[in-house]
Amino acid sequence: MKSPNPPVQTRVLVIDDSPGDIFLLREMVEEHGKSRFRVTAEARSLEKALKVLGERQIDVVLLDLQLPDSRGVETFSRAHAVAPDVPIIVLSESDDEELALQTVQLGAHEYLVKGRVDAHLLQRALRYAVERARAEAQLASERDLLQTLLENIPDRIYFKDRESRFIRINRALTKLFGLKSAEEAYGKTDADFYGPEHAGEALYDERRLMESGEPLLGKVEYENLADGRRSWSLTTKLPLRDRQGRIIGTCGISREISEMKEMEEQLETERNLLRAVIDNLPDLVFLKDIQGHYLLNNMAHIRWLGASDPSEVRGRTVFDYFPDDVAAEFHRGDMQVAEARQPLLNQEEHMVDAHGNHSWRLTSKIPWLDDSGKAVGLVCISRDVTEQKQAEERLKKANAELAANREELLRAVGNLQLAHGELRDVQLQLIEAEKMKSIGRLAAGVAHEVKNPLAILKMGLEFLATQKFTDEHTPEILREMGDALGRADKVIRGLLDFSAPKQLEVKRESLNAIIENALQLVRGEMKNGIEIERDLQPNLPLLKVDGDKISQVFVNLFTNALHAMEDGGLLAVRTYSKQLTGVGSNISDSRSESFRVGQQIVVAEIDDTGHGIPEDKLAKIFEPFFTTKPTGRGTGLGLSVVRTIIDLHGATIDIRNLHEAGVRVTLMFQS
Amino acid sequence: MNKKRLLIVDDESGFTRLLKLTLEKTGNYTVREENDGTNAWLVARDFRPDLIFLDIVMPKIDGGDVAQQIRSDPMLANVPIVFLTAIVSQKETNNEIGGFPFLAKPVSLDAITKCLNEHFGT
Repeated sequence: MKSPNPPVQTRVLVIDDSPGDIFLLREMVEEHGKSRFRVTAEARSLEKALKVLGERQIDVVLLDLQLPDSRGVETFSRAHAVAPDVPIIVLSESDDEELALQTVQLGAHEYLVKGRVDAHLLQRALRYAVERARAEAQLASERDLLQTLLENIPDRIYFKDRESRFIRINRALTKLFGLKSAEEAYGKTDADFYGPEHAGEALYDERRLMESGEPLLGKVEYENLADGRRSWSLTTKLPLRDRQGRIIGTCGISREISEMKEMEEQLETERNLLRAVIDNLPDLVFLKDIQGHYLLNNMAHIRWLGASDPSEVRGRTVFDYFPDDVAAEFHRGDMQVAEARQPLLNQEEHMVDAHGNHSWRLTSKIPWLDDSGKAVGLVCISRDVTEQKQAEERLKKANAELAANREELLRAVGNLQLAHGELRDVQLQLIEAEKMKSIGRLAAGVAHEVKNPLAILKMGLEFLATQKFTDEHTPEILREMGDALGRADKVIRGLLDFSAPKQLEVKRESLNAIIENALQLVRGEMKNGIEIERDLQPNLPLLKVDGDKISQVFVNLFTNALHAMEDGGLLAVRTYSKQLTGVGSNISDSRSESFRVGQQIVVAEIDDTGHGIPEDKLAKIFEPFFTTKPTGRGTGLGLSVVRTIIDLHGATIDIRNLHEAGVRVTLMFQS
Repeated sequence: MNKKRLLIVDDESGFTRLLKLTLEKTGNYTVREENDGTNAWLVARDFRPDLIFLDIVMPKIDGGDVAQQIRSDPMLANVPIVFLTAIVSQKETNNEIGGFPFLAKPVSLDAITKCLNEHFGT
């Protein structure tokens, strides 16, 4: 601390019981205002003087020991006690050597004999007193500061002699040693307080330090006290020199840093653990700033970059490890995520590392934001999923193969089903053929045996018809008998048609011509009120069919239609060719398998406006001997014959009731 | 005008008898009936018919064989033969069996008359 500037004028307190002396002293001190001293207060008793000293600022005191309320040394002691920092010059009547020595020893600055002082002497004494007092005050203040520092600082401070014996320690060290007072340590060494390890090391350090004169700065020491306590400290040791600069010992200051050290160790441990975590991950992990500089990379990523050490990578960018175009791609992707401040999670990407190894990776990039939400960088973690990817690919391929195999199997099954259907049809046809053979033989036998009697009956009837009759009813009876005979013959003929050998004489025929011919043949069945409508497409492709058999089909169908329209109606016949677009909806026949989509077919449709077919009978109409006609009108073989012939031609027949009225028969031929 | 001579070969005697009666009644024909097919050829040689009605299905001999016998006899080679049969219907056979015309049973008198008129040009 700096001492205050000396006042421009030095304030003097004169303490004397004699007003004359006071006057004289003032004269000498002030010299009519020419000197720098001013008597700013005077006191004629000690009591008054003490009061002034207690209340006012006084720089120096002129004190006469003989006062009315005090005498001798006691006067000085009491004044000095009140203001110990104010220098006092003692004035005395007598030249008492002993008294003078006594007061100076107690702290007086000067002892003067009244009769022997002049202005010059007095002013010099005052000046010296003031100067010395100030120097002393300054010294005391500095000593106090040092003392305060030493005693209050938590750091441990010591001074040792050349033999490393303590000559001074501060309170912190006293406390550490567990001593009541610092003096207890004086003369002792580190060996008395510390374990041999630290004591030995400290002694070694101090000896080297004394030899070299070089200070030991900021050494971190692990101290073990004799009683087992341990601590970390940061120690600085300096050589202690005397005024001539000779080294007379050492001094040092030491700070306990155990907590800091522990924290540091803890941090270090944590850092190592975190590092261990990321370095042991096979995933690539890195953190980069917004400019793309790497701040943290795990070992996997460091190797991926083709580097070997974390410090080698830190601060660098992807451009240091990859060709510019590749690096630019990486950089752009990373910065996009950072700037968008939106995480990109589990992005699958194909990548090539610095060594040229290819891999499929699942990458997540997370923007690294500061407290204000501003993007300052990017965290990235990337996992090698090549094996999963390959497995996935294999699985996909296997699936595709399975699917293909399945398709093939389905196709094979389809073909099998088709073949099975064809086989079944052939089998049914064979069975049918066999059946028909038997029926044919039976029918031929029956026909022969029945037709001969019929021939006799017919011949007989015709013979009788030439006779003259007495009974008028006879001709009518004969006619009835003739009709009955005709019906019986028709049944037999139908049976023969139905069971006739199934051999086709196939030629190229015009369907329209066949239809026209059949219409001619059924003319006899046509009653009044029947209208025929033809819509026959000209230039139909010729069909490879047995003309007689197909003609029979149409005759039978027309006959059925005409029979269904006893009271008249419209018989409409249409033919046309078309390309088959779909099998199923328009072909109800089971033999439709012989038709293929895209095939050119010829269609014949016969519509009547008759009474139609009861729905529950539709399924049976192709069965032999089934008929919906009144007894005597149908043989029940017409549609069976039709069906047989149509089947032999590989054609189809569909019979259904029309919505309005009547029946539609649809025939389809392969052209 | 000479009556035409007709031979009817059929195992059905009722039929041959009725046909004979009916045809002779017209006054245009002399009819001989034969109910045993195996006798047909000899009867034909003897009777010298202008036309032969021949059944096909007979107990001892087939009408086709009888036709062959008659056709291969130079004396009878030009005699027309018309089959009369119950086993086929008219429309299936194009009116011919083995090159011979035929009529299906039961046959009407009209059909027979028409057939005879065609052969004899009357």
